[in-house]
Amino acid sequence: MPAIDTAISTTDILEQRSRRDARHERLFRWSLKGCALIVLAALLGAAGATLWGGRDAFATFGWHFLVSSAWDPGNDVYGALVPVYGTIATSFIALLIAVPISFGIALYLSEVAPAWLRTPVASAIELLAGIPSIIYGMWGLFIFAPFFANHIKPWLTNNLGNKPDDGKLSWVAEHIPFVGKLFGSDYPFGASILVAGIVLAIMIIPFISSVMREVFQTVPTRLKESAYALGSSTWEVSWDIVLPYTRSAVIGGVFLGLGRALGETMAVTFVLGNAMQLSASLLDPGTSIASTIANQFSEASGLQKSALMALAFLLFVVTFIVLLIARLMLRQLARKEGG
Amino acid sequence: MNSPYLRRRITNALAMVLSTLATLVGLAFLAWILWETLRQGISALNLKLFTRITAYGDDGGLANAMVGSLIINFIGIAIATPIGVLAGTWLAEYANRTKLGESIRFLNDILLSAPSIVMGLFVYTIIVLPSTALTHGSTTFSGFAGGVALALIALPVIVRTTDEMLRLVPSTLREAALSLGVPQWKLTLQILIRAARSGIITGVLLALARISGETAPLLFTAFGNNYMAINPIEKMSSLPQIIYQYANDPGDAMHALAWAGAFVITMFVLLLSLGSRLILSRTKVSHD
Amino acid sequence: MTDSAIATNPTPVAAAAAVPSKLTVRDLHFHYNGFHALKGIDMDIPEKRVTAIIGPSGCGKSTLLRIFNRIYAIYPKLEANGSIELDGENILDPGYSMNRLRSKVGMVFQKPVPFPMTIFENVAYGIRHHEKLPKAEMENRVEQALRSSALWDEVKDKLKQNALGLSGGQQQRLCIARAIALKPDVLLLDEPTSALDPIATGRIEQLVEELKSQFTIVIVTHNMQQAARVSDLTAFMYLGELIEFDQTEKIFTKPDKKQTEDYITGRFG
Repeated sequence: MPAIDTAISTTDILEQRSRRDARHERLFRWSLKGCALIVLAALLGAAGATLWGGRDAFATFGWHFLVSSAWDPGNDVYGALVPVYGTIATSFIALLIAVPISFGIALYLSEVAPAWLRTPVASAIELLAGIPSIIYGMWGLFIFAPFFANHIKPWLTNNLGNKPDDGKLSWVAEHIPFVGKLFGSDYPFGASILVAGIVLAIMIIPFISSVMREVFQTVPTRLKESAYALGSSTWEVSWDIVLPYTRSAVIGGVFLGLGRALGETMAVTFVLGNAMQLSASLLDPGTSIASTIANQFSEASGLQKSALMALAFLLFVVTFIVLLIARLMLRQLARKEGG
Repeated sequence: MNSPYLRRRITNALAMVLSTLATLVGLAFLAWILWETLRQGISALNLKLFTRITAYGDDGGLANAMVGSLIINFIGIAIATPIGVLAGTWLAEYANRTKLGESIRFLNDILLSAPSIVMGLFVYTIIVLPSTALTHGSTTFSGFAGGVALALIALPVIVRTTDEMLRLVPSTLREAALSLGVPQWKLTLQILIRAARSGIITGVLLALARISGETAPLLFTAFGNNYMAINPIEKMSSLPQIIYQYANDPGDAMHALAWAGAFVITMFVLLLSLGSRLILSRTKVSHD
Repeated sequence: MTDSAIATNPTPVAAAAAVPSKLTVRDLHFHYNGFHALKGIDMDIPEKRVTAIIGPSGCGKSTLLRIFNRIYAIYPKLEANGSIELDGENILDPGYSMNRLRSKVGMVFQKPVPFPMTIFENVAYGIRHHEKLPKAEMENRVEQALRSSALWDEVKDKLKQNALGLSGGQQQRLCIARAIALKPDVLLLDEPTSALDPIATGRIEQLVEELKSQFTIVIVTHNMQQAARVSDLTAFMYLGELIEFDQTEKIFTKPDKKQTEDYITGRFG
């Protein structure tokens, strides 16, 4: 279309434009990459900052820090055992309760519920995930803990505790070791490791069940149909076929829930009782890493502050590892699907 | 001959019943929590909540906490959105299926569930401490630090949704723009992001819902302020932080205020979730 | 390879001699991801005619089409050898500007992909990148392009509306308008009607007839009847090789190669 003379200058213009575009392209690419690297920086920064803040505590106490149950601001002696125990115990109880319930919910939503009910129920369960953890804390502190203290705890201490009155199940505590210690408590209120574990469980149920449900849905229909054709029941298909097929992803989902439970602060702080004491009983108050930090950091200074930072570093490392395992296991299933 | 079939039938029925029960348990707790929040919260609602500040204690309201929350959340989203959208764009358009891209995507997923209290301590170390030293103690905790902490929590949410939404855009759209001679950076900014727009906005709304309820990271960054503060350099209170403070107070009146705050947050988060769901469903319709 | 190619395919060179060749392909080999996708292609695509490329799935027809405007976005680790001459210049030469190539060779894809913008903006978008036009001239160009793609009458009152509101057939005509708005010399159509209903398909085929007076058209299609209806020359490809390339009438009535005949008669798909 253009005349011969202008054809040459058009080529020049096009060349210039190409070079300009290439420059813009490079700039654009670098800014995008920089932003993506901020994600990496955040993780490294969090680990680095807590490690740096905790260096005094680690230097002073060494490995002993991990196993000492001391926590004495007056004499500047600190140990991580009590908070670590609280974190692990509450998370463990939470998993114990949440995993079977989540599995039940996932099973219900994929196999049992009528089609019209699936989306509303699934959305409702997802709503649980959206409720901020401080609301769980409020509910736990003002509603659930008193309820527990009034209606459930007495039954537990009477029947399974180490000072059985005339509880009908007192033979359990007399004959099975540990049970008495686990459920005996003189503490009058509901705040306890068990209650914290229950509240945590409710919090992580939607995470685990949504992963499980998604994962169940990736099982090829042909696989399930051939099992049904052989006469298997719904339960058998789920237990014998779906679960093994999705096993690593299910474990991944469980680890995901664990990772969240370990790092949770507000839902447990309100109901743990903030007691820096190591007790065998699940019905006694305790503390977790996150709640210890939340409760003490603002007023702390010097070595105490460093000890709290050291706790934070421990929490970050453990959570990181758990979440790493979780994501790796979830990816395994994705890879199987070619996704 | 009937025995194995009967046993299997019973097992199956039992499993069905138990799974239904599990779902009912989950829904029951959801209802219980929401109901109590509504009940306690509504009974504590009054005009004072919005007009008086927390300095007046049980005779006061939550005005400064609400304003503080708005400001801190805004700072958080304002920082996280551009970084998150650009990072997500990089993952989807430039680094999809590369080793570095896969690693960052993986790490982003981990950051998504990382303990928020540790993020708070991180910001404490890199913002609160240095600003205390640099200003000789006049600026220590600040609303801005709180915003940065929340930004770190919102960031992975936005990165992930942007990444996923962009990857949903069909590759033919890219090819069509490239075949017109449009360079990749232009087509990414002008066409692809626009095409994935509603998904990205949904991601931002979800991130906002997530940070609206975060308490722990604010404790050592924004710290709290019983008076109205709108300058981000000052200490600032926020609804979650006030709830934490008041819930631990022995007085009942303070508890009522805490419930009111909890109610406001819950309503806000629910509305955001609903809103983002609506946006997503509306775009699905127009694409058909 | 070149000698035997001429020996086995004398007719396309002779046919093309009557009309100048717009795109001259010589000994084109293309690899991606280690896969040898195109093997020694020799082809003369004549100017201002419609050339169809047919063949079973995986034969490389879409790959070949995409080399003509170097849309390699979907091919990882690629390598192209040989030459493709457009107006005397080899477009495979790394020195050949992409911008220039894309302004001379336009492409329309299988699935209509309007940009998320207004109808007017869709057509103007490509132009804007290459030329700075005053408003009135831009409006003229857009109208011209929309008229040439037989869409103007249907959209002239709703230019400011979102393009996503158009029907599938209209969207595809919009994509054609978008491509021809740049006034390219060559128009590449990659299965342009396979996502459309029969009526829309008919309109596009009619459009192709009208457009060939202005553009050199290369169309890839898996629909043999469409190739027979619409094209002047047809190329049959199989497993990355160009098996036969000749006048459409000859290919569909008395092809030289048995493979071509088998495909035409539906002996393999």
